[in-house]
Amino acid sequence: MIGVIDIEALISSLPGVKGARDKDGRVVALPSTVEQVAAVTASVDGHGLAIEITGAGTKRGWGNPVRADLVLNTTRLEGVREHRWQDLTATVGAGTTWAAMQKELAEHGQFVALDPLWPEMATVGGVIATNDSGVLRMQYGSLRDLIIGMTIVLADGTIAKSGGKVVKNVAGYDLHKLMTGAFGTLGVIAEVTFRLHPLPAQTEAWSASSTDADALGFLMTRVLDSNLSVRAMQLRASIQGYSLDVELASLPEVMAQQMDRLNGLARGSGGSCTTKPNVASNLFRTREHLFSYDYVLKVTMLPASIGHLARDVVQLGGMAVTQASGIMLAGFRETTAVNALPHLYEYIDRARGTVAVLKGNKQQWPTWPAQPAREKTGLRLMQQVKQQFDPRRTLNPGRFMGGI
Amino acid sequence: MVDASILKELRAAVDGPDGASAAKRSSGLITEPSQLKTYECDGLTNFRVEPSAVVLPRSAEQVQAVVQICAKHKVPFVARGSGTGLSGGALPAEGGVVISFARMNRILEIDIPNQRVVVEPGVINQHVTDAVAEHGYFYAPDPSSQSVCTIGGNVAENAGGAHCLKYGFTTTHVLGMQVVLPNGEMAMLGGPVQDVPGYDLTGVFVGSEGTLGVATKIILRIVRRPETVQVLLAAFDSIAAAGQTVSDVIAAGMLPAAMEIMDRLSAKASEAAAHPNYPVCEALLLIELDGLAPEVAAQMSEACALCEKNGAWEVRVAQTAEKRALIWKGRKAAFAAMGRISPNYIVQDGVIPRTALPEVLEKITHMSAEVGLRVANVFHAGDGNLHPMVLYDQAIAGQEEIALDLSYRILHLCVDHGGSITGEHGVGKEKQQAMGYMFTEPDLETMQRVRRAFDPENIANPDKVFPRTKLCGEKTGPYTPHPLEQAGVAEFF
Repeated sequence: MIGVIDIEALISSLPGVKGARDKDGRVVALPSTVEQVAAVTASVDGHGLAIEITGAGTKRGWGNPVRADLVLNTTRLEGVREHRWQDLTATVGAGTTWAAMQKELAEHGQFVALDPLWPEMATVGGVIATNDSGVLRMQYGSLRDLIIGMTIVLADGTIAKSGGKVVKNVAGYDLHKLMTGAFGTLGVIAEVTFRLHPLPAQTEAWSASSTDADALGFLMTRVLDSNLSVRAMQLRASIQGYSLDVELASLPEVMAQQMDRLNGLARGSGGSCTTKPNVASNLFRTREHLFSYDYVLKVTMLPASIGHLARDVVQLGGMAVTQASGIMLAGFRETTAVNALPHLYEYIDRARGTVAVLKGNKQQWPTWPAQPAREKTGLRLMQQVKQQFDPRRTLNPGRFMGGI
Repeated sequence: MVDASILKELRAAVDGPDGASAAKRSSGLITEPSQLKTYECDGLTNFRVEPSAVVLPRSAEQVQAVVQICAKHKVPFVARGSGTGLSGGALPAEGGVVISFARMNRILEIDIPNQRVVVEPGVINQHVTDAVAEHGYFYAPDPSSQSVCTIGGNVAENAGGAHCLKYGFTTTHVLGMQVVLPNGEMAMLGGPVQDVPGYDLTGVFVGSEGTLGVATKIILRIVRRPETVQVLLAAFDSIAAAGQTVSDVIAAGMLPAAMEIMDRLSAKASEAAAHPNYPVCEALLLIELDGLAPEVAAQMSEACALCEKNGAWEVRVAQTAEKRALIWKGRKAAFAAMGRISPNYIVQDGVIPRTALPEVLEKITHMSAEVGLRVANVFHAGDGNLHPMVLYDQAIAGQEEIALDLSYRILHLCVDHGGSITGEHGVGKEKQQAMGYMFTEPDLETMQRVRRAFDPENIANPDKVFPRTKLCGEKTGPYTPHPLEQAGVAEFF
């Protein structure tokens, strides 16, 4: 079948859909409306072809490689469609860059309370498809808590909406939760409605540095156990040492008092650490630097394991940034990865954590290492969901775990 | 249908091969008609179906054995916690089995450093908070029935409560679950850590109203108890003024733990029931702020000023924990208190964008006057979740039908204003037809794909959530053109 179809002609026959070619010579379809997305997927699905869905492409390497006949690029689905600031909700096209969206919402002092990687480039759809998040997660939750509605397009061209434009809503299944983190294997995310939060009046950052990872890990759990107005917290770990960064969001008049309490916790946590206010810009974007390494792993763990797993990463020759919610990004050079990863996998397993290889030699180190017994049933269930949503395997085939 | 041989299998599954008497404990199988009556409905009492059998398993393995028997014989099953649901979610299926979690009520693990608790589904919501209170933590979702409802039921319905404005819903607090799928397989969804690789099946399962399987173990997140809590009570001459205050509080950048409004009728009923000493007024606004003492103090004075700016003629800040508890007791008694002013009532659960509040309430007043029935209003004003209560007298012929019709029209009104038919009570049996008003057929068909992936035989709480075959004259929402039609590629004839 493939080969006899002129994909370029197929795309150009769909009204309004722009066509282009990427650097590999593949046809790229650029729809600008939800209906155009549906026209693309339905006609491609009908011809038994496969689509790779992309936004800005910043996280394209995160899943398994996809063998697709054409690319569906969502970047023309851009713009904040509606910002109901009095209701603290906004509906946004999936191709909008994260930063552009935030800029518009900030006009009314609001934002989507999530800080993904590379916000200037990353699109809303891509952030959701990969379930990316940053340090704000400990206070505001993940995308699961921030998305209240979504318009999706299935492979067969079905346009479906789930949720709505109100924060509280339990009518029907939450398809938007299923789409979050599904790497585009179940449908194309076209439009999203978020619940918003007010931007904080004042924030201040503070860091505690030490050569003792466990002491800072313990301090982190003490801060979590406190009543301080902590908005963000991360543990940076490298051969140079460890640093616990805390961002407080509070009223100006009580900020000094909170800083005192933070210093008090640091003093009482054992180990010797140096504390100071931290005014470094982009302090909480440090994890982006890890992507200069050959290997980048996403490791999830219980908060109490953060200190010792951070130490393990450094001892194995890597560096890491871990959010207080228990999500670590760890970077390794090619030379150390081969020896380090097997040990790290063992430590993670022992700590009841999980691992995904975002960047590296995927032939040797699959994105999602096989998890023996855990999950024959879980995987079978996921395959059944895929079968129901995309029976011809048209959307991002093979990108997800278990070959989904 | 459950025949004698299936009953025998069920008995062996819950009592063991030697029977309950060998283990010297009461049987886990109920078949006596008089006892089955207890299970014929949940909190929505106008729908009743007597189940063929009720099982009371003591372990996840027993639940699995029961579901395997149901799957083998294609017998429908419905899970049940305390039966406090308000939408008929635990209404038994015709000829089916009810799986009661009354005997699976253990808290299995408390992990304070990681802020996690592992429970069996039959654990009472309030008991989770009780178990962690000494460590300074609480379990945040707090439906009004929290002293009796179970975590399993909360998971099925994605229960909310007054404090979900700030703290989120059940889904925010569930990290993972052990579940028995409708084919009898056991699976782990999510886990103790965040972002377990794979589809977010936990997110889909929470709130699926028992239609995707049965949870047997649930990993919950607990929250640090705030240092200070303050509650403000303000009396207004109109709901519009109270509603405007809510919008002003949000616009000022505050995120209160709760914001509730009660109208004259519901405040009066609550006063009679719980004696919280509410002022007599058209609209009572309750705002709870929590956090660090100096932050709460600053925000409270700002909130008081906003109340006064909008014409509140009495603003009270509860000074003691007892007074705060009393204010909440009145609010939480609102539903039950209706019994004091009306023989019967229907509680609805619509949601609207907060800004539509004055307009929607005016329309409800108009609709209520049109049919001559009183409607009392209690709502979670912060998130636009209305609980209109349509008051009627069943003894008057035809009045129940008028009341039901009015309650459904109120839901349609919520959808027309961009809202939802349910904010926290679930669709269940009660609102399955209204789903067709809120969602289009392609939306519902897409949701059914999830259902078919989990439950291809349609035996887990069947005939709930989704609309039945269309009734004569029923609307299913606006027509949605097929994408190919819209793109000019195809036409419908």
